[in-house]
Amino acid sequence: MTDMAIETSALAKTYGSKQALEALSLEVPRGEIFGLLGHNGAGKTTTVNILTTLLPASSGTARIAGHDVTTGADRVRRSIGYLPENVHFYDNLTLTENLTFFARLSGVPDPAARIAAALEAVDFTGHGQEKMSTFSKGMRQRAGIAQAILHEPAVLFLDEPTSGLDPQGVAKLREIIISLNQSLGMTVFMNTHLLAEVTKTCTSIGILSSGRLIYQNSVAATLGAFPDQASLEDIYLHIEAGTPS
Amino acid sequence: MSPWAATVGHELRSAGRERLPQLLLMIFIGMSAASAFIGSAAKATVTEVYNSAAGQGLTNAANPFGNVPPLYYARNTVIYILLIGALLAIVIGVQSAMRDRRARTIDLVLTRCLSPAGYLGAKMTGIGLGLLAVLGASALISVLCISAVTGSIPAPDQLLRLLALFGVAWLFLLFFVALGTLSGLHASSYTTALLVPIVIWSVIIFVLPLLGTAAHPVSLLNPVTPPAAPQTGIFALTRSLTGPLSLGEQFKHVAAILLKDPQATGTMTGGITVILVFLAAGISAVVLTGRTSMRKELHD
Repeated sequence: MTDMAIETSALAKTYGSKQALEALSLEVPRGEIFGLLGHNGAGKTTTVNILTTLLPASSGTARIAGHDVTTGADRVRRSIGYLPENVHFYDNLTLTENLTFFARLSGVPDPAARIAAALEAVDFTGHGQEKMSTFSKGMRQRAGIAQAILHEPAVLFLDEPTSGLDPQGVAKLREIIISLNQSLGMTVFMNTHLLAEVTKTCTSIGILSSGRLIYQNSVAATLGAFPDQASLEDIYLHIEAGTPS
Repeated sequence: MSPWAATVGHELRSAGRERLPQLLLMIFIGMSAASAFIGSAAKATVTEVYNSAAGQGLTNAANPFGNVPPLYYARNTVIYILLIGALLAIVIGVQSAMRDRRARTIDLVLTRCLSPAGYLGAKMTGIGLGLLAVLGASALISVLCISAVTGSIPAPDQLLRLLALFGVAWLFLLFFVALGTLSGLHASSYTTALLVPIVIWSVIIFVLPLLGTAAHPVSLLNPVTPPAAPQTGIFALTRSLTGPLSLGEQFKHVAAILLKDPQATGTMTGGITVILVFLAAGISAVVLTGRTSMRKELHD
């Protein structure tokens, strides 16, 4: 078994004449919380969509937990959990009904037990019988993470997980992500442009600029490598500024 | 439970909670129940007029409604299947496809272990089972109403014919479910998704038969008797082109034979084949919808 949770090689995606992703080669070891940073339109969501098998790559290869996203898409799907940027559910169903459906789609043998465990993991026990239409954005994000971990995936993909949350919601979600990584050993791959969050949550980062990966290192090494920069935000801006567009 | 079975169950549960299909369903079942009584009222009115005419010595012919078979009372059901049933099927299909798009849950579904074809096939199966239950209930209500009107339970042969009618109706309506689902999967808005299959339905049910028969539009609402078909001239030519595509007329022809309409001639084979071809084409088009199309955003 490979030590890499995520491996991509010369991964590229074009939409017509627009190059959304260019020769992305990336390695994320198991057990990491990896933050993919980049400005709007840098290719972060395209990367996640390819890695979660939602979108075919134009060229290159990608492997998740050792499985190729093209030839082993079903095995990849069994290995991943996914939280889209704006997670939505069937509003006329309760949280438990929604989670039961997604658990069964993932082939979970005992949905009730897994739902209870997932809700406990995101500190959301007691909300199972509530209709989704009554949920706030923060509650939806936690429900979204619960649906993503129902089948105990090896790799968790989170697309802008803290987008639109209030400070309390952001702090709670951070706590949940770190807990999933540390107690359940899940590798977490998150897209974000909230750099303060990255410092507090991620163990390593990559910076994507106009479809190209221009930087990848651990957060600790990154902070140590740029002693003259006050924060990760400054480092990010410094790296971005040095990249020819 | 397999992902496929979970999707079937989810489809039934979700459809059961939506109001518009529920409303149409009640109308459909209500009209099926009313069918026998409407037939009975028609028979009573004609018999009364006949008795009055016969009493005045204006006719000595036998009452044409004097000895109608029990299946006569199911004739109006055919037109309700064609009109209300098909619209119900379209609405159910559109709602089913739109449910995922409006809820924006499709990415959560597509990152699970079920292919788009498997997922859409399971959805169609769920709707098909739901529709089968509806038609089963309608068939039962029809039998009860015919029994009430005639004062006796229809004979086994007649019961089988009624069941066969609802069986063919199921295949016929499933095509419209597929049409609605297809439109719901590809349309850019909910309004367009509903409008497009309704336009196609009106073309199939009304425009194509008119092109092939020169019939008066109202005659197409005649429950089972096929419209007059000219044997020569331009309409004979257009009929040969549009006839097989006139799904409604094909269904009515099959229904006429099943209900032993005295004016119906020929066999059911051609009509059933056309219905099956339409159904196969519709279901294939639905299950072959790709991942990219399924993820298309709705602009409502």
